[in-house]
Amino acid sequence: MKTKISLLLMLFFSICSFAQQIEINGTVTSESDGMPLPGTSVIIKGTDRGVTTDFDGKYMIMAEVGEQLEFSYIGFVPQVITVGYENQLNITLIDDVASLNEVVVVGYGTQKKADLTSAISTIKPEELQKTPSAQVAQSFQGKVAGVQVSSMGSPGETPEIIIRGTNSLYGNSSPLFVVDGAFFDNVDFLNSSEIESVSILKDASASAIYGVRAANGVVLITTKGGRLNKKAEITFSTYYGMQIAQNVLKMANTEQFVTFAQESGSAAEISSVNQAMQRFGRSRVNPNIPDVNTDWYDEVLRVASIENHDFQVNGGGADISYSVGGNFFAQDGILDMKNSYERFNVRAKVDAKVNDWLKVGGNMLYSNAVKYDDEASAWQETYFAVPILPVYDSNFTDADPLPYSDAREIGYRNSQNPFTLLDNSDRRGERRRTVANFYADFKLIPEQLSFKSSLSYNYLGVNERIVSLPYYVTDDYQRSVNQSSITRNNAVTENYIWDNTLTYTNTFGEHDITVLAGMSFRDDYASNFGASGNFDPNGAFIRNNDKTWYLTNTSEDSRTAYDGGSRSYGFSYFTRAQYKFNDKYLAYATFRAEGSNKYDETYVYLPAFGLGWELSKESFMENVGFIDYLKLRAGWGRLANDAVPASIPQSASTISTVFDDTLVNGFQFSTSSDDLDWEYTEELNLGLSSNFFNNRLSLEADYFIKDTENLAIPVLPLIGTDVSYQNVGSLRNKGLELAATWNGRISDDWSYSISGNFSTLDNEITSLEGQPYIDTGTAEARQRLVVGQPINVFYGWEIEGVYQNQAEIDADPVAQAAIADGTDIKPGYFKYKDNNSSGTLDSEDREYLGSPVPDYYYGGSLGLNYKNFELNVAFYGQGGNVILNTNRMEVIRTQGRNIDAQLAVNRWHGEGTTNEFPSSEGYRNVWNQRLSKFFLQEGDFFRIQNIQLAYTLREENLPEMRFTLTADRPFLSTKSYDGFNPEVGFDGRDTQTYPTPSVYTFGVTVKL
Amino acid sequence: MKKIFNIRLILFILPVFMFTCDDQLDEQQELVVVVDDIDYTSEDGALGALVGAYQKFNDIGWEQIPLLSVRGDDVNAGGLGDQQGFADTDNYVYDNNFWMYNVFFENWAQDILQITAQIEQLEKFRAAGVDSDLIDQYVAECRVLRGFVTLELSRMFGDVYKIETTDQTQIEVLPKDELMVWISDEMDQSIPYLLDTAPNQRVDLPGGITKYTGLTVKAMANLEVGNYQNVADATGEIINSNRFQLFDDYYHLFKTDGKLANENIMEIQYSDFGQASGENVSHLFEFYGPENWTAAVPEAGSGWGFYEPSFKFVKFMLDRGETVRLETSVLFTDRGIAELQTDPNYATLPSWISNTTRDGDVINDFTRAYFSSGKHYLPSIELTPGRTTYGTNKNYTVIRYSEVLLMYAEALTRGASGSAGTADSAVNLIRNRAGLDNLSGVTSDQVMDEKFAELGMEWGIRFYDMVRLGETEELSYDGRNFTMEKAFLPYPQAQLDQSYILNAYNQNQND
Repeated sequence: MKTKISLLLMLFFSICSFAQQIEINGTVTSESDGMPLPGTSVIIKGTDRGVTTDFDGKYMIMAEVGEQLEFSYIGFVPQVITVGYENQLNITLIDDVASLNEVVVVGYGTQKKADLTSAISTIKPEELQKTPSAQVAQSFQGKVAGVQVSSMGSPGETPEIIIRGTNSLYGNSSPLFVVDGAFFDNVDFLNSSEIESVSILKDASASAIYGVRAANGVVLITTKGGRLNKKAEITFSTYYGMQIAQNVLKMANTEQFVTFAQESGSAAEISSVNQAMQRFGRSRVNPNIPDVNTDWYDEVLRVASIENHDFQVNGGGADISYSVGGNFFAQDGILDMKNSYERFNVRAKVDAKVNDWLKVGGNMLYSNAVKYDDEASAWQETYFAVPILPVYDSNFTDADPLPYSDAREIGYRNSQNPFTLLDNSDRRGERRRTVANFYADFKLIPEQLSFKSSLSYNYLGVNERIVSLPYYVTDDYQRSVNQSSITRNNAVTENYIWDNTLTYTNTFGEHDITVLAGMSFRDDYASNFGASGNFDPNGAFIRNNDKTWYLTNTSEDSRTAYDGGSRSYGFSYFTRAQYKFNDKYLAYATFRAEGSNKYDETYVYLPAFGLGWELSKESFMENVGFIDYLKLRAGWGRLANDAVPASIPQSASTISTVFDDTLVNGFQFSTSSDDLDWEYTEELNLGLSSNFFNNRLSLEADYFIKDTENLAIPVLPLIGTDVSYQNVGSLRNKGLELAATWNGRISDDWSYSISGNFSTLDNEITSLEGQPYIDTGTAEARQRLVVGQPINVFYGWEIEGVYQNQAEIDADPVAQAAIADGTDIKPGYFKYKDNNSSGTLDSEDREYLGSPVPDYYYGGSLGLNYKNFELNVAFYGQGGNVILNTNRMEVIRTQGRNIDAQLAVNRWHGEGTTNEFPSSEGYRNVWNQRLSKFFLQEGDFFRIQNIQLAYTLREENLPEMRFTLTADRPFLSTKSYDGFNPEVGFDGRDTQTYPTPSVYTFGVTVKL
Repeated sequence: MKKIFNIRLILFILPVFMFTCDDQLDEQQELVVVVDDIDYTSEDGALGALVGAYQKFNDIGWEQIPLLSVRGDDVNAGGLGDQQGFADTDNYVYDNNFWMYNVFFENWAQDILQITAQIEQLEKFRAAGVDSDLIDQYVAECRVLRGFVTLELSRMFGDVYKIETTDQTQIEVLPKDELMVWISDEMDQSIPYLLDTAPNQRVDLPGGITKYTGLTVKAMANLEVGNYQNVADATGEIINSNRFQLFDDYYHLFKTDGKLANENIMEIQYSDFGQASGENVSHLFEFYGPENWTAAVPEAGSGWGFYEPSFKFVKFMLDRGETVRLETSVLFTDRGIAELQTDPNYATLPSWISNTTRDGDVINDFTRAYFSSGKHYLPSIELTPGRTTYGTNKNYTVIRYSEVLLMYAEALTRGASGSAGTADSAVNLIRNRAGLDNLSGVTSDQVMDEKFAELGMEWGIRFYDMVRLGETEELSYDGRNFTMEKAFLPYPQAQLDQSYILNAYNQNQND
């Protein structure tokens, strides 16, 4: 009893502040890996006294017995300990799977994850760093439900990203990137090591506050900063690796090609084979084929290196925190030409507490990248080049620099050799970017009212030099000096954004309120200037010396120049209000009024709302033990899209034509005029966030319906080719997104985690304002916009099979009708489905053959930890789309080219050989060249995205070292697509797609 | 930390919210020339609008003229093993999914629409005060051009659009015969305002459309519908004007020397401006070029090997004892000569026939064709030094005075009366230039033969003559079988999809 009384007394005294303080110290560590947690905040609840742990996770604080100490660290469940008489308190914080206390960056501020009512996903920076790529966005793939990423193989190329489906037809569909407040179309200038947080605002209720640039969703990125009272952390990391082409497309080899040519019945084809035998000799193995067997893909591909070196220092004193870093990345392309990407970044970020009422900060980033572009058409040339042609032809003795072979010598129309392109072009692009951001944060009423003004500035200078170099093989196979050209482009993009926000936060009993009001001014400026010319044979130009590759060395009469630019302004007011009652009922609203000089209607008004209910805090849920947390969310928002180009009224363009060897200028007036205004997207999102089984399992689910109204659509002329655009359509995207994570622990040494996400996307045109359809694609490979179908659905004929014999042809009225019409139908030709039973094959027989956009995609990862070892495997897949094999279809225009091995092997060549592929002769006949599943292939694929094995060495007296072995995209399985890369972009047309290589790297990170 | 309202600070930041930028929100977009901004009072501007009409027509795709003319018995597809649909068309097997049909239809329809848009703009110049007579002339030129394009589109597809306005809902499809009458009327209304001079004598736009272009198009439209008196009247007026002569040298008429020849009534002009590099406005003549040659200028590039003069044409010319016209029309290969000689009637050929042109270019054998078209050939020595692409700086002749003479002669032999001399005199003018003897009392068949010899390989003239006369026999050559149902290409599928007007018309025709 006595003790209790004394305790009470103690309490009394403590409340009266007379109680005696004792010194408490200890170490805070992480439960999962036992590592100290520097920077953990240790606060005495209900007071403003607090400290943070030092670099070794140690702290010291004076407290009174009975006071409550709260230990909190981002990503961990906070712990509250009541002070007793022990002087040492060692605390182990448990990973917070659900990260309920995690603070999420939202539009113009932050919010606790638990308070969110909209669909926002975050990606941890360490996840980003697993992918060896210069492109941060590449590592988003498969990590977040609702976000589709189509990666690019070409070094330095930015991946395409679509959040929750394509909203717009005329404008682009890529999201807005907001980096420390500045707006970007992509983040090709950031290295993953420079990023502290990524929040993806997926639904309209979250992104509406960003206004007209946010119609396709927003990716908020905060770059790394320091932290107050933090010992400097110095990190050096590096990786080096190789890239190897994966799933290389198999083309017909000489034997297959010759067989195919002989079966074609084409005299020209057969003659070419004979000419090849005459010129290059006969194979000793098979004397009926030429002694050449070039695997052109093998020739143009190479193993290429990739490396990254990174240096970062973060820390902070009592009033100032800082982060400084530098980074060098270099990557060669797997295409055998001057094709690479190099980037050098430096940056600094400083935040300072000037005094009680003012905080200022700023950051600057300078990025200097040099990108040598691939010669994209070489991919197509490689596909087409015949295997009976060697790379070099020693008959060309006068050739310079190399005796490239020439397919015309064996009767083909074009020289075909891709190396004339690869070796003789040089496409350099230098990109210099400066991003600067400064802010001042005034506390007007402490803890309640603050005002922040920030200015973001972004400058991008692109300097391109595109050179085609001379070569000589023969007199009619050469590029002479005066046909060799140089093109210089200088493009400057500059924009600044000035944001001013006023934020009020307060708590009245059970009511928590935050209100923000702001204004933003935006100025986007772009200009480009370019000139080109042909080199002067009498000038100083030297092929092998790029110091002479200047316009100065071109002949004067060959020079041309162009100049263009754009400027747009935006001005807007916006507000956000959050309200929380009783810690479980959430309400949220934003509103933005945005002005732009782009359309007739200057201002557009964009509201958004959200509601949340933390069900798990209700008394009736108390007994449901396995549920730790359950929140229902609903949100609605309206967005407008200013990516739709400004209306072009009836306009005039300058043209010129020749009269008597003189160029005469004139005008042409457009035969149509646009009528464009704001395009709107309205989205409803219903979701739930939940944790189960002691927070071991977290589950998020979202369902959305997103309607684009006033959709700008091409209104085709009835006649001619001059398309106009009008806001008269609508389309809908809807989908379900699930994401779950399970963290398990087997023993102290063994733990694991499993996470997965799955998304569906149902895209559908809902109105074309009376037009029955709009044709897109090309006349030969028709795609359509049509109500009730996904955008750009392929439209063509269905193949029922292949005519196996004459009897089948005789029995089919469709074939008979065609024969009567003059088309000679033979066995080995396609039998098409006569959908309208008209007895003839006509346009009415066409049907929808598939959509270019996948309708489901999924990703996930498995992580396994044993002591200091970690193994992580991530995967990604998608399906439900089709891909147009335009290379195979090119036979429509030009024959006498190579064919893919799939076709060469599976071709019809006699009764019963196949029911899916035409004969070689049939492949060349227009009858079989209609758009059908023969040219469309299923796009489903599954890929191991990443396998990483890591070991962390922690020894006293040694810096912490981490070693990683990574295999990025090592394995791909496709359902039917035989191209290199099933990620052909969202238009579904595989033309010149650069293959995505597999990357194998070894990395070391040292932390001091 | 003072826990008071920081009023000074608030006063300091309030002006920020007063800031607006409504002025900038009214800024126009860069680089967009809105029609309303154009100075419609400018005479130069009106000329610019007219030049826009010419440019649209001159900017013609490589596949279009070949498609228009490949079906004749003078020429074969060539390019063996390539462009199957083009070869099928040559054999009268049509597939309305073949891309060339669509490209042709949509582009020629766009040409007509564009020319119409230029006319509408010219009227704005008139309204703003530009000399009305000048506008009359410019509009008349546009109408002639529009009439010609419509005529060609209709010869290809039969019943097509009549376009007199850019309001697309007001456009209708007319039967071919009605279109020809409309074109004739259009010419009648335009001719009074056109310059009374030969196109090459024009000073403002040398080679542009004049009164005589209008009269020729009128004659062509009337010929299509068999209205021979109108043909004789229009062509007679041209002949009587004495503004035209045949170019003496038939061979060089199709080379650089023939640019803006007085004989040319209409031509598409190209130029490399005599410079080795830089600006170059050219047509893709490579399509017609032999695939393999040893050019007199070694670096001169060869062609694609399409568009092969037929054996029928070569033999027809040999039978007639033609020299310069055969030499000008056909580039021989050794393989072609040998193939020709397998026919015992042609075992011995005139000695001048060889695979080397008079300008020293050697046409080597290539598998895609036996012969190449000579009228689309520019000798390599005529290339501007530094230019290597086949046919660079060559013009594309569209209508020649010799066609006018032969239309006149045909009309007279079919019963029309003429004021410009006899059919004999017209035909003999042409024969004399070709080094042939005079005929007397020429018959219609002789005129058609003369036309075959004179205008072979040019603009499908031969094919449309045979179709117009129902001469299915002539077109059924080398294993082909032509019937009158094959006269027109089917409407391209893409056009039926695009235009409900055309689709509805097509449905009605088929019902």
